[in-house]
Amino acid sequence: MTAVIVADNLTRDYGVRRAVDRVSFEVGPNEVMGLLGPNGSGKSTILRILAGYLRPTSGTATVAGFDVLSHGLDARRQLGYVPEDVPLYTHMRVTEFLGFMGRTRGLYGTSLVKAVDQVVERLSLGAVRSLLIGKLSRGYRQRVAIAQALLGKPKLLVLDEPTNGLDPRQIIELRELIRSLARELSVLVTSHILAEIERVAHRAAILLDGKLLTVHRLTDQTNRRLRVRLTVNDEATVRSRLRGVAGVSLVEALPARGNYVLEYEQRQADAVRALVQAGLPVEEVASYSSGLEELFLRLTEGTPQ
Amino acid sequence: MKTFAALLDKEICALFYSPIAYIVIAVFLVLMGYSFTMTLFLTKYATLVHIFFQSAGLLFLIVPVITMRAFAEERKAGTLELLLTAPVRESQVVLAKYLASMSVVFAMIALTGCYAIVLAIFGTPDWGPIYSGYLGLALLASTLVSLGLLISALTSNQIVAAVITIGVSFLLWMIDTLASVLPDMLERILISLSLLARFTPFATGAMYTSDLGFFVSATLLALFLSMRALARR
Repeated sequence: MTAVIVADNLTRDYGVRRAVDRVSFEVGPNEVMGLLGPNGSGKSTILRILAGYLRPTSGTATVAGFDVLSHGLDARRQLGYVPEDVPLYTHMRVTEFLGFMGRTRGLYGTSLVKAVDQVVERLSLGAVRSLLIGKLSRGYRQRVAIAQALLGKPKLLVLDEPTNGLDPRQIIELRELIRSLARELSVLVTSHILAEIERVAHRAAILLDGKLLTVHRLTDQTNRRLRVRLTVNDEATVRSRLRGVAGVSLVEALPARGNYVLEYEQRQADAVRALVQAGLPVEEVASYSSGLEELFLRLTEGTPQ
Repeated sequence: MKTFAALLDKEICALFYSPIAYIVIAVFLVLMGYSFTMTLFLTKYATLVHIFFQSAGLLFLIVPVITMRAFAEERKAGTLELLLTAPVRESQVVLAKYLASMSVVFAMIALTGCYAIVLAIFGTPDWGPIYSGYLGLALLASTLVSLGLLISALTSNQIVAAVITIGVSFLLWMIDTLASVLPDMLERILISLSLLARFTPFATGAMYTSDLGFFVSATLLALFLSMRALARR
């Protein structure tokens, strides 16, 4: 399968400031990739380059095989983009706006009406379809922005800080939406909120000061991990005592005293019971999702916020 | 072509759904109507020459009001990002905004046609200068609109766009007054750039292809530069 995004040594300067510094990554079909980094780390700039709004100072990027510079029009046809702060034409009505955006994507006549109806239904915009966009709440605006990005069935959806300004329920709904969209297309999403990326993305790229530090795979396997605090502070002892516990193994000892990451094969409750029954001095047990937090803190350690 | 039609629709709706177009047209017609009536009563001549010059003068103030929002407003609201990341060409975006702005100006100028009808009913006007005058106004408006779009494409502040457009247009209008104190070579260049010197023959009934070429090429140049300004990101 060919990659939907190939970014190769992307660099972008704003005057003397280098906002993006030789960033390379790929996003595969049906993959959700998260770009994670503090504010000002170059996430939005990368998205804007991919969406064709900014030109890279050097380096290349392709979307579905089309170079964003030399074949910009074709690349943009393959991509739906939702900028940060969801700018929309507030004087238009929802369906009028979706109709306009659909027409710019080459849809017309019955295919346009059908496409608009589809995204209105998908994003549950039926109740507001004839309202002025300027009158909509932030949550609805976000949905309208995503709806326009899905017109014309793009291969890639690019979302810049999509959870900004949403309430907790809307954030959960958005998460579900991204998961369901990933069955049909690839998604590139940025956030400065680690937990968001952790919940929706298959892989997370960590950026700092315009540099790509690492790409971290958030596999299902990482969901089968526990973080435990034991009264024992010796890795060798823990390892040897764990040998007697079927299905549970030590992944790593964390820097914090007595904290370990364990991997289990059985159900979580059974794993904890087995630990206790084996006589391990367990003080605290917590789900350990992906290790992204530790990785992020380790990589960005010592940088001023 | 369908994409361009979508862009043009959007721009025309943006101008005509807001009160701007109607207010601009109404104010223009009130002022011109007053001037036409007064001049006709005082001179009793069946001519529109003075109307053409006064319309031209008003265009310098009114066109920047129409064009100032074109790009500046979209840039400030962030919708320019939405527009330029859609699969459309920058040239289509610029051309759509140009034609939409021109449609307001054309509506405005066309409505002054009733003065010519009044003259035809009550007198026997010489139609030659009237035709050429209207052509001159259209060409002048086209140059001013494209200049306004170029300046709007360079800023995100509408007021700045309007004020600079007014300043540059007026400077180009009267730049030939400076010419007489300059050396021959510069004098010729400045006179050839003067909008007044280019417009006067049209208003008085004389048409030169060089003037026509000037207005057309000034329009094309400003539109091209607007495109470049948009592409420079």
